Amino acid sequence: MELFLQSIINSFIQGGFFALWAVGLVLVFGVMGVVNFAHGELVMVGAYTIWLLHSQYGMGYIPALGMAILLVLLIGLFMERFLFRPKREDPLGGLINSIGVLFILQVAALIVGGTGPAKQVAPPFSGTLIIEEIVRVPYQRLFSIAVCIAALSLLWFFLTKTKLGWSLRAVALDREAAALQGININRTSMIAIGVSGALAGLAGALMAPISNIYPHMGHNVIITAFIVTIVGGIGSLPGAVFASVLYAFLHTFITAYFSGTIATMSGLLIMVLVLIVKPTGIMGRRISE
Amino acid sequence: MLLELQNVHVHYNKIAALQGVSIQVEEGDFITLIGSNGAGKSTTLRAISGLEKPSSGEISFRDQAIHHLTPDRILKLGIAQVPEGRRIFKDLTVEENLQLGAFTRSDKVAVRRDLDAVFGHFPRLLERRNQLGRTLSGGEQQMLSIGRALMSDPTLLLLDEPSLGLAPIVVEEIAKILCDINGKGVAIVLVEQNADLALELARHGYVLETGSIALQGDADSLARNEHVKTAYLGI
Repeated sequence: MELFLQSIINSFIQGGFFALWAVGLVLVFGVMGVVNFAHGELVMVGAYTIWLLHSQYGMGYIPALGMAILLVLLIGLFMERFLFRPKREDPLGGLINSIGVLFILQVAALIVGGTGPAKQVAPPFSGTLIIEEIVRVPYQRLFSIAVCIAALSLLWFFLTKTKLGWSLRAVALDREAAALQGININRTSMIAIGVSGALAGLAGALMAPISNIYPHMGHNVIITAFIVTIVGGIGSLPGAVFASVLYAFLHTFITAYFSGTIATMSGLLIMVLVLIVKPTGIMGRRISE
Repeated sequence: MLLELQNVHVHYNKIAALQGVSIQVEEGDFITLIGSNGAGKSTTLRAISGLEKPSSGEISFRDQAIHHLTPDRILKLGIAQVPEGRRIFKDLTVEENLQLGAFTRSDKVAVRRDLDAVFGHFPRLLERRNQLGRTLSGGEQQMLSIGRALMSDPTLLLLDEPSLGLAPIVVEEIAKILCDINGKGVAIVLVEQNADLALELARHGYVLETGSIALQGDADSLARNEHVKTAYLGI
């Protein structure tokens, strides 16, 4: 019973992270038509920034979190301006460029952090919330889930309530028709990847105190993000968030009762099944119309 | 001269779509481009809006060359397009679609006034303002596409086959609104396969055949032209 209740709490926290990873990927794919394979490495850079600035140089956790967001956002802008924009009409070229960035960032992490065991950051919010001696939630995780929910709500507000947000959705729906409304495609792409990068940096910074930090940690991020975006329906943000929570439950429970490896294998299996049975995902729409 | 195309050529890969098209549009003018499928009508409009770059020739708007500009810059100069196939944003609401038409404008009062004007032209859009674009009928989607273009407060409105696939009664309604819009001083370039309708509405016409202008003149004289009659009017 304890394990069951604890797993439910853990699932929600995990789901928040999955969603934060996935929406950035969906946003860039929707607006720019690029599958950004380096998205997981952007999260990794966020985590390394916390390790370097907070653990090594003693900067406060919150300012370091701000720096992580800023740094990854800037990397995102650089990628759009110099790697994706020249390949606007060539999605495969953009994808290959992003794989290049993936390797470069992994090597950069090795140079900055060196080899050896995975790095860890002491949680800046210590202590644990204990409910009825059954469920335990470390304050660090409570902080993370609160920030995740706040960030996703902010994104939702931006996309549905502001004209700039509508313009992003318009470009994702029909780039040419959007351009005919006076929407600048280059500027919109910069906004999309800027938001995506900021969310990736934030996710990494939130993960730093509660997970291992190592150059290949983005691997798990990108696999999870692919699973939930495909299950949720490629290009659908609500679908990705919904699938994130679903997959987090599946993943957490299988990890708790069996093992983490089986959990990831099940996720990939479900992704393949969705691709075969309903390629548009839970909330995706047919593209051809 | 409001808009002038001089000897414009457009190539798709190596295939010529336009081979030296010259068109002139005065302030407040109403002209039409007629011609069969593949004659280059849509390509002409796409070139004006900056969606295709001419391989040679010049396009100027109020004596300023515009053929090197991006579509968003051209829109800002006052040229709006109702594209072929309507191309409304189907997952956005009617009102969001219209607001995006005014994306580049910052004067909220004027935008509000134009929104009311569009709802005045198309009361059905007002009824459906909070519905998603995909729930509209074909005629309503065409109205939304026209309304969206009007929201940019254009001096020149380009329309690509607005009557395609619509019931005759809806076509009539749209034709009446185009006359109203033109009556308020907005110049119109109408591309149509329905040559009867186009020559009835417009003052001047151009007949496009395989990427170049075969005939041009007053709409009335074109409508009486033997070649136009047999080839396009089905008389």
